[in-house]
Amino acid sequence: MAQQTAKLLRISQVGLRGIVGTGMTAAHVLDFASAFGTFLEPGKGVIVGRDPRSSGIMIREGVVAALMACGRNVIDLGIAPTPVIQHTIRRMDAAGGISIGASHNAAEWNALKFFGRNATYLSTAEANELLDIYHLKKFSFVEWDRLGELRGEDGALDSYLDELASVFDFDALKRFRVVVDCCNGTSSLILRRMNERFGFGFTLINEKMQGVAFAHEPATNKDMVALQLAPLMKPLNADAGFLFDADSDRVAFATEDGTAVSEEMVLPMLADYLLPRRLGKLVITNVSSTALVDEVASRHGGQVVRVAVGRQATIDALSSYRPEQIALAGEGTGAIMMPQFRFVYDGIASMLALLSMMRERGEKLSAIVNSYPKYSILKGQVPLVTQRIPALFTLLRSHYRDGRANVLDGLRVDWPDRWFHVRVSQTEPLVRIICEQRGDPPRDLFDALMERVRSFA
Amino acid sequence: MPKREHLLKIGVSGIRGVVGEFLTPALACSFAQAFGTYVRGGRVVLGRDTRKSGEMLTHAVASGLLAAGCEVVEVGILPTPTIQIYVAATHAQGGIAITASHNPPEYNALKLFNAQGLFFNNYERAELLDLYHQSDFRQATNEEMRRVVTDYASAPKLHVDRILKHVNLERIRVRRFRVALDAVNGAGAMITPGFLRDVLGCELQAIAVDPRKPFPREAEPRPEVLGEIAELVRHCHREIGFAQDPDGDRLAVIDENGNVLDNDDVLALAVDVALGRLPGDVVVNLTTSAVVDDVARAHKRRVYRTPVGEANVVEMMQATNAAIGGEGSNGGIIFPAVHLCRDSYTGMAFLLDRMAETGETISSLAARLPKYHRRFGKVAYEHGRLGPLMQSLETRFPAAELDRSDGLKLLLPQGWIHVRASNTEPLLRVAAEAKSAQEADHLLKEVLRLFGA
Repeated sequence: MAQQTAKLLRISQVGLRGIVGTGMTAAHVLDFASAFGTFLEPGKGVIVGRDPRSSGIMIREGVVAALMACGRNVIDLGIAPTPVIQHTIRRMDAAGGISIGASHNAAEWNALKFFGRNATYLSTAEANELLDIYHLKKFSFVEWDRLGELRGEDGALDSYLDELASVFDFDALKRFRVVVDCCNGTSSLILRRMNERFGFGFTLINEKMQGVAFAHEPATNKDMVALQLAPLMKPLNADAGFLFDADSDRVAFATEDGTAVSEEMVLPMLADYLLPRRLGKLVITNVSSTALVDEVASRHGGQVVRVAVGRQATIDALSSYRPEQIALAGEGTGAIMMPQFRFVYDGIASMLALLSMMRERGEKLSAIVNSYPKYSILKGQVPLVTQRIPALFTLLRSHYRDGRANVLDGLRVDWPDRWFHVRVSQTEPLVRIICEQRGDPPRDLFDALMERVRSFA
Repeated sequence: MPKREHLLKIGVSGIRGVVGEFLTPALACSFAQAFGTYVRGGRVVLGRDTRKSGEMLTHAVASGLLAAGCEVVEVGILPTPTIQIYVAATHAQGGIAITASHNPPEYNALKLFNAQGLFFNNYERAELLDLYHQSDFRQATNEEMRRVVTDYASAPKLHVDRILKHVNLERIRVRRFRVALDAVNGAGAMITPGFLRDVLGCELQAIAVDPRKPFPREAEPRPEVLGEIAELVRHCHREIGFAQDPDGDRLAVIDENGNVLDNDDVLALAVDVALGRLPGDVVVNLTTSAVVDDVARAHKRRVYRTPVGEANVVEMMQATNAAIGGEGSNGGIIFPAVHLCRDSYTGMAFLLDRMAETGETISSLAARLPKYHRRFGKVAYEHGRLGPLMQSLETRFPAAELDRSDGLKLLLPQGWIHVRASNTEPLLRVAAEAKSAQEADHLLKEVLRLFGA
């Protein structure tokens, strides 16, 4: 279903993303990377890395050529997790970086993610400028004798791990028995090195990096955790199980009793862990993530700032506060940024924070998960012709007048113990419907909404 | 800076231009993807000369080839003939050499080879160009994506082994020739010193053999720019000096007195060696000296003439199953028993072999050739002038036998005149040849007078 309706190519503020061959071509890559080489402040180098998709080599070659033509020295990390690429940008004081990889999408997809000199994603203003340069196709190519050069860099992974080790107590954490589903992505690079260098005992499954055939969809959600990881917890007598997407910026997990936990739990749990430890009291998330985070935040005197769905809105929100005001930022998808790591989505750091929480509380992971009040979430989607979208929101708003409405991104309506959010997918011609209730699933509300949207469409 | 319209040329001879604003990575990538489409995926060999822009373009071309579903075999910095031989010997689907040959360093270009390691012929080029303009490319999906493999080591040996089948290695080696080399810091820098010193046993004195450095002289090995190696030959008492262009297909030869030999004479010496070894005729372009006809006649062989351009000569050589061919004034020797391409290495080996065989110096070997005098001139080209100029030549020389296959060639009792438009520059090239220097001067002067230059 998603396959048939998915758009093949998306060029937007988020960058360039598409199905290689049918949507995204070498020509797109060359032009977009040339635009980025033109956009960056002059002089400094650019860090490049990729996830293991087979198309990554073709894209890397194009990116390297374009950056060199713009006079940029390129440091290629080869196959590297996105958080490592971002770490290296800062460490080497580079002008920026490009991560080649489609993260949680299926293997036939690929994408370019762009980072500025502070190693975070581009702000909307910057992304718009990049898009303008891309569309104008006026690139700053240098003369033949000023072309950039290409080199590799060996120490990137170890330097990244040094930073993690300075924040987390590796000696304590390595005592946990942890199973990881790498989903044939880049996380195995980091975890194997942690075993080797620090004596961690991560047991890895799907650890071989694959260009074409991932063991399963590399999405970090409950269903994917339930596939292979959760059933291994008891037989392997593990304390925790984690699943990473292909470029290691997202995480989902299973508890020691073999339960696949909802991906929505990562954010509130990390908020619970970080809020008491930090001066900052703000949790930045989008309007679709669980209300449990509000409940957890209020316990610690924190406050949740909700923005539109999508990476871009979160990035922009970050820049409108002082860093010390923020405790963490993230999505219900398991993509979390922490201020200790200068606001980089980092699945590995998120895993280490959850393990630290287990150690400090001296509790089993299932006990921590079960200590939170139960929230139940229902998700659905309905295909819709784009022209009819505004009328749908007007209709729904008039139906649910008794709740508090938020129109930041589609329509969210809140009641004291439940809420729903209806929005248009950014990647597919679909309306997404999500309902959550403290306690049991809000079946009545969800069914009514689905029915209303279906009959409207 | 050349005129704006010459900064980039995309045509039947491929893509060539000034790197940066004009020859962009995106253009190179698209052209490579068109090439990958034309050869229907498969293995494609990719190499380059030492130009600074070569590395950047290698990545752009690799991207385009991979996007078309090709496997890319990177052979690194190598002479063009070595790359061509590697394509043929490894049964690849095609090859691309990133080199602007003898053009200045700010230029670069893609030379395109088919599965036999030969330059695309005119029909293949026209089809490729159509594909490029239609942007009708093979687009490999993630599953169809192949990889980049590198093989820097095996190509030079393949090339050298082929040459050694056609010379007497022992008699060359025992002479321990004192040789000078100027590789213009080009692709030749990678293998020529080893070829001369280790393979042919020469005592070598080399300059400009650092592939990381810029070209220390003009890229085209014309006599006027070979002062340094000529001096080296004289000063260090070398028996012969060789000068290459950046991609190692062209050769200039310096005799033991430090004089740069006429390229037509070098070709004639090579023709003499080849015809002494193998059956077959000779193919040269219209501007090549009649000295080649004299040498061929002595071997009772025929000489075919083609329009200027390596591809034209090669095509005729294929059609006639020729023993040897070349383009005199360009310093190109094509010996198909090694490979059907311009190859400075075969040239070097042939000359040393002939010196070893005869015990003569290179200057005396050249002096034995029938003496012709050639004169060259250039006239700024203006569109529309060529026709009237040619007609005025015809009127001036009514008795001449005419060849119109490339500009106009007039065969006269005392010699010949050839006038043609350059393929790469906005110029008319004029060449004249006669038995005496005085007559040659006269013919050139006459043409320039008629052209008002």
